[in-house]
Amino acid sequence: MPGARFGLVRRLIVIWTVAVIAFLYIPMVSVVLASFAKKRYFSFPVKAWDTRWYEKVFNSLSVRELVVTSLDVAVLVTVFSVILAFLGALAFARYDWKGRKLYQKIVLLPIFFPQAVLGLALLLWFSALGITTSWQTAVFAHMVWIVPIVTLIISIQVYGFDPALEEAARDLGASRWQVLREITLPILSPGLISGSVFAFLLSWGNFPLSLFSTGADQTVPEWLYAKMVMGYTPMVPTLGSLTMGGAVIVVLAVYVAFLLRRWRHNRAMAGVAFDD
Amino acid sequence: MKAWREPGFLVAAPVMLFLLIGFAGPLLMVFGYSFMPPRTFSLAQVPTLANFVSVITDSFYISFLWSVGLASVTVALLLLICYPIAYGMAKLFGKWANLVTVLIAIPLLVSENIRLFGWVLVLLKGGILDGTVKMLFGTGLPSLLYTVPSIVFGLVYVYLPFMLFPLVIGLSLVPDSLKEAAYDLGASRLEVFREVELPLAMPGILIGCMLTFILALGSLAESKILGGQVIIMIADDIESAFTYAQDWPKGSVLSVMLILFSGGLVYYLFRRVDLDRLIRRG
Amino acid sequence: MTEAGATPILELKNMVKKFGDFVAVNGVSLEIGDGEFFTIVGPSGSGKTTMIRMLVGMDAPTGGDILLRGERLNDVPANRRPTCMVFQSLALFPHKSVGENIEFPMKIAGADPATRRRRADELLDQLRLPRDYYTKGVDQCSGGERQRVALARALAFDPQILFFDEPLASLDFRLRKTLEKELKDIHRETGKTFVYITHSLEEAMVMSDRIGIMHHGEMIQIGTPHEIYNRPRNKFVAQFMGEVNIRPVTRGDAAMVRSTDDEQTYRLGRDPGDFETGFLIIRPEVVKIGAAAQGLDNQVSGTLFNDYSLGSRLQYQVRSLSDGYQWLIEKLQDEPFEGRFGDEVVIGWRAEDSILVRE
Repeated sequence: MPGARFGLVRRLIVIWTVAVIAFLYIPMVSVVLASFAKKRYFSFPVKAWDTRWYEKVFNSLSVRELVVTSLDVAVLVTVFSVILAFLGALAFARYDWKGRKLYQKIVLLPIFFPQAVLGLALLLWFSALGITTSWQTAVFAHMVWIVPIVTLIISIQVYGFDPALEEAARDLGASRWQVLREITLPILSPGLISGSVFAFLLSWGNFPLSLFSTGADQTVPEWLYAKMVMGYTPMVPTLGSLTMGGAVIVVLAVYVAFLLRRWRHNRAMAGVAFDD
Repeated sequence: MKAWREPGFLVAAPVMLFLLIGFAGPLLMVFGYSFMPPRTFSLAQVPTLANFVSVITDSFYISFLWSVGLASVTVALLLLICYPIAYGMAKLFGKWANLVTVLIAIPLLVSENIRLFGWVLVLLKGGILDGTVKMLFGTGLPSLLYTVPSIVFGLVYVYLPFMLFPLVIGLSLVPDSLKEAAYDLGASRLEVFREVELPLAMPGILIGCMLTFILALGSLAESKILGGQVIIMIADDIESAFTYAQDWPKGSVLSVMLILFSGGLVYYLFRRVDLDRLIRRG
Repeated sequence: MTEAGATPILELKNMVKKFGDFVAVNGVSLEIGDGEFFTIVGPSGSGKTTMIRMLVGMDAPTGGDILLRGERLNDVPANRRPTCMVFQSLALFPHKSVGENIEFPMKIAGADPATRRRRADELLDQLRLPRDYYTKGVDQCSGGERQRVALARALAFDPQILFFDEPLASLDFRLRKTLEKELKDIHRETGKTFVYITHSLEEAMVMSDRIGIMHHGEMIQIGTPHEIYNRPRNKFVAQFMGEVNIRPVTRGDAAMVRSTDDEQTYRLGRDPGDFETGFLIIRPEVVKIGAAAQGLDNQVSGTLFNDYSLGSRLQYQVRSLSDGYQWLIEKLQDEPFEGRFGDEVVIGWRAEDSILVRE
């Protein structure tokens, strides 16, 4: 690359990137800020700080119910999505089969689709089938959007997976089940874990699909929105902060776990004596 | 081996079945409802084109045009904002690129509502921005919320990663050796960009634009939370039709319009782009 | 050297493999003896990889039978066959250490950790790997070391037949030469049957008891390296071994053939029987040049137009005066031919040094 100018361009890009990243986090920081404001209606600069809203959130039964609902949905969505997406990713990236190109495009469609419209369409669908909406239908609704995303994530891992490894394992006597357990799943585990984290957090934070598919039940994002529009209380930023904090902790925990695992793996592999 | 016994087909079946029931079904239903008489709730009726006509006559197309306009502006802005970052991530940052990816991806895992609400706190009269300016300069700012720019702002904010990540993948497909060869053959920086980098990165650029456009087109939260419905977007109209107006056929026809438009774009995109190559590199 | 073909351990009867309309393997039959080192050689696309995948159980044959000690193996799934393969990519499990890789087949078979460890150590010794490699990561091993780990893992399975899918193809020359000889040693030490595939005839010659040459899905010739080299069945086999001189010929009088290109006649070592048309093959190393060519049965006049040094050998190219054919001559480097480009020279060979083939 020519020139002394390149150094300048590089520096500008770095500054720009840092600025944009900071910009991305501003709203999240403001929410945390607002959760500690004592007054009921937010104004800046904050004159009085307090943690009373946190107490209110922790003591509120209705908030607890919301969290449980969101949790129930997210957990089920994660479990079902990862299983489906695992199979879907194998079809996406591992096996060469006749309908594959078409399949790839079909699987990605729901991601390119406006969620609100999808939510409404599902509402129509549920009522046509005579199903009353509740948190269980929300699980289904979330999955329509989340399964393709997790499939994509796991596919990225599968693309790098050498099929000869499975063949070699078979050749060395392993049954299909043993191949899955000893070779396929361990090697794909980073993708499976990332996919699970994404599925969980995307489900937890989802609003448009939940809005139309939860019926009488309510998830945390639905409640937040309702309160934002009418009946605002600082419990909104509080619960919001807690949610964000939870998400960040989950992601960091998984990231750190990955790093730790790789560090231990490297130490063991280098032949250093390692007490397990 | 017979086609349906192939392992690829077998593992694809559960997902396909699921999408058939969960995606194709609802969409077909919506499609069917768009032909039903207004304000009805069953499919067992005589088809009519009344809803399609009313889209024009009842000026629902206005919200559609607004959505297209706002989405286009969003895409243009995001291209400008994200391209340098994508370039950095693909070529310059080296080991740091992973950290940048994680940092940019984390906000995605936090509910859209919360993040947009955060901006409300910032942009509100009496909010963080206003308060800071007052502290520094004495006078405050007019309300920045509930305007068209604030909606665009929200769209740009929320959909930034969806432009950025495809761009990164697209740019990473441009081998440095090709650019160096072009320089070697006498091309200027602009020419290299135009003749080598841009065409080769095009698949990523196209996907980023399409994805962002379609998501912005069908967005709902930004115009509600940040825009206070100063203008109505198409998804908002659709929601109103289904809920307040209790007019499923109308909501359906609007949805169909949206779906066909988005679908047409996606179809065009998929024809031009090889997904295998892109995802492998990702 | 083990007696080849004493008891056939593996019999292939009329093996066929079709992919749609494409016939990858077209009726291959052969027998491999217990303890033999048998190599299937062929260019890319000859069907050799397809063959070996059928034998190991990865692909099902479209037709034909595979018999292991007389028992039909066709329907036995890959993981239950007493055979094992060293893959071209080696397929070492990246998430397991060297020791875990080697122990894998034993673990699957249910052996206890102590037994597995003992055997793994034995194999590390046998494959000349340091014992502390047991905990090493496979990605930290060199190319040659990875080959040995792959081989150790296959031996840990204790197969009746060990298959090899071009395992040395990606290695550089030195490493290949070293490993070829080591493979041969291991073969001798273990006494197992080795079935090897490669595209390099030279590699096959170094290691094998017998060689089978495949082309377009068919087994063209099977024999010992010596037989294949000296009595190639056809033009393809002869040319597969390297550069040769080939002249299309028809039958002449007595022990003679006539070249169809330039009407020259060549003397053969003996009467060709019912030969009508075909090719005469003369290896570069049997062709003499200059004074050494005097008095030989067959002689050709031409002009010297090129010479090459191939390290231990020298190569000359002579353009025939009669029809411009470019003859190739090889001799040892300690007897260089003194001649200038453009000089007229005589080249020749003894009648019995040429090879006659029909196609």
